[in-house]
Amino acid sequence: MKTIIAGQLAVAFGVLAIGLFFFVGSFWIPDAAGYSTVGPKQVPRVVGAGLMLLSLLLAWEVWRGGFRQHDEDAEAALPMDWRAFAWLSAGLIVYGLTIERGGFIIASVLLFLATTRAFYSTRWLLNLCVAILLSAIVFAIFKFGLGLNLPEGVLQGVL
Amino acid sequence: MEVWTLLMQGFSVALTPQNLLWCLVGVTFGTAVGVLPGIGPAVAIALLLPVTSKLDPSGALIMFAGIYYGAMYGGSTTSILLNTPGESATIVTAMEGNQMAKRGRAGPALCTAAIGSFVAGIITTALITVLAPQIVEIAIKFGPQEYFALMILAFMTVSAVLGDSVVRGLTALFIGLAIGVVGIENQSGQARYVFGIPQLADGIEVVTIAVGLFAVGETFYNASKLGKVEESMLSIKGSIMMSAADWKRSWAPWLRGTAIGFPFGAMPAGGAEIPTFLSYAIEKKLAGQRNAANADEFGKGAIEGVAGPEAANNASANGVMVPLLTLGLPTSATAAILLAAFQQYGLQPGPLLFETNAPLVWGLIASFFIGNVMLVILNLPMVGLWVKLLKIPKPQLYAGILVFATMGVYGMRQSAFDVFLLYAVGLMGFVMRRYGFPTAPVIVGMILGPLAEEQMRRSLALSQGDPMTFISRPISGTILVVTALIVFGPWVWRKFFASKSK
Repeated sequence: MKTIIAGQLAVAFGVLAIGLFFFVGSFWIPDAAGYSTVGPKQVPRVVGAGLMLLSLLLAWEVWRGGFRQHDEDAEAALPMDWRAFAWLSAGLIVYGLTIERGGFIIASVLLFLATTRAFYSTRWLLNLCVAILLSAIVFAIFKFGLGLNLPEGVLQGVL
Repeated sequence: MEVWTLLMQGFSVALTPQNLLWCLVGVTFGTAVGVLPGIGPAVAIALLLPVTSKLDPSGALIMFAGIYYGAMYGGSTTSILLNTPGESATIVTAMEGNQMAKRGRAGPALCTAAIGSFVAGIITTALITVLAPQIVEIAIKFGPQEYFALMILAFMTVSAVLGDSVVRGLTALFIGLAIGVVGIENQSGQARYVFGIPQLADGIEVVTIAVGLFAVGETFYNASKLGKVEESMLSIKGSIMMSAADWKRSWAPWLRGTAIGFPFGAMPAGGAEIPTFLSYAIEKKLAGQRNAANADEFGKGAIEGVAGPEAANNASANGVMVPLLTLGLPTSATAAILLAAFQQYGLQPGPLLFETNAPLVWGLIASFFIGNVMLVILNLPMVGLWVKLLKIPKPQLYAGILVFATMGVYGMRQSAFDVFLLYAVGLMGFVMRRYGFPTAPVIVGMILGPLAEEQMRRSLALSQGDPMTFISRPISGTILVVTALIVFGPWVWRKFFASKSK
């Protein structure tokens, strides 16, 4: 009767990993002289230990049939769309790679198109026009109006 | 009356043309982000932090506060017409208001929600005006021990008491505390978890975390889980005004909702879910005692079920301003971002701010009165305009949200590293949403964590390292006992009760 929900167990392990990272990492923080009992390393250590303890409690809940007060069936009924997930990921990663060299407008247009693709929009021309218009307006307002430093990239000189 | 002069002084600040404009911009923008699904006040304020750092603090804070309570008004429009509550506190409105809209009564539902929010907003601002100076008078005597105890109380109520699961709430809180620890620690100057990455030395920006968890995480969830779920929007038919009968049925729920909501927000308990559900339950019960026909309407679109919870929601949201302004204690994600906004100008909300920056604090409080008047005008005759925002199709809406999200995060310090960090935080937000973890405790933890650490170390320095100092001082001891009671009390009570019933 008991089933282990793999995803939830993975989440518990993720929390354990984060906790372990902060706990172990706290031993590398140098102690500052002149502080009585609690220096800069104690709080991170307690936080790391707390996360490890919580991960055990999460794992225990998974073992007992799944997270308490969580409608796993409702979530599982919505299938995970990995294609949409991949398009969004690609959009954000490409943005990070192109923002500096390519500039704000090109990076934003690519991100906009990737996101509409993730939502299965097929109105290409409309999306392209909206993307260019939106990024150009945002660029103008935030760069020239509000003084936010956004890169021009390859469009330098054109703008 | 000293309060009166202070408030008048506040009005003289808030009524300058410049600050009136900031207030109008704030409430307008707030209504818009409240109406739009996928983006909320926390993200909106976070995205504006980098571009407002050079503005005059009082103008910027008036605008941010306007976004905060403006989003409450906008949010009810969405839940009534779309039945997709943006936040859990509007579930009740979505339930009852959407039913009204289905029966062609969308207009009165929107109207009672807006006027209810207005009534709650004005009454609670008046209460803030009266209460704040008194709390400040007590808080001025607080030492670091008391602040530490209050922060622990806030941590526990935000993560363990609210929400579905204590374990998941605490996990979210501790993730936030862990994020807050990264960077150069400001008392000893030691670097923690920096690994030689300069972007980490300054600490992880709250902008990245808030935008990642709320905007990017939400986009991921919508695209990969709800992409094919169709939403149907109801339209407003007929007049938006309420009939005489609607007024008669609404006014008492507005006042009761306000009375229920405000204490919940004002005590460092945070969260508008409990008061909205409580208000709904009370209205349902009272309607049953008075008029059987009205009571039967509950679940099918009873106006009391919109009026009461909406007022409670707004009153509780406004109440959150009390611990934020008087103690520097944020009890919701948006309040934590507001605290970050104060910090950006080198200001620390709390009793001292009332002395050193009285015109700013009172100007802000006065602007709540003005902003609520603006909002009721913006949301009643102009509701049709806001409804148009709901017609933006999902693909373009979320694409636009991501363009703004990345712009804000990159523009903050021109670092592509932050964009990748935003992606990672977005993935975390998606996983948290998928597995039912609350996200607000992350934000509260990362903002309040370093402050709590500072107060703890200051207390221990004063007591020469004796941890009993937190318990032996009467006020901090009491707060810690109360905290323990509200965290463990229900559990102990259940155990006791369960063993008796067996």
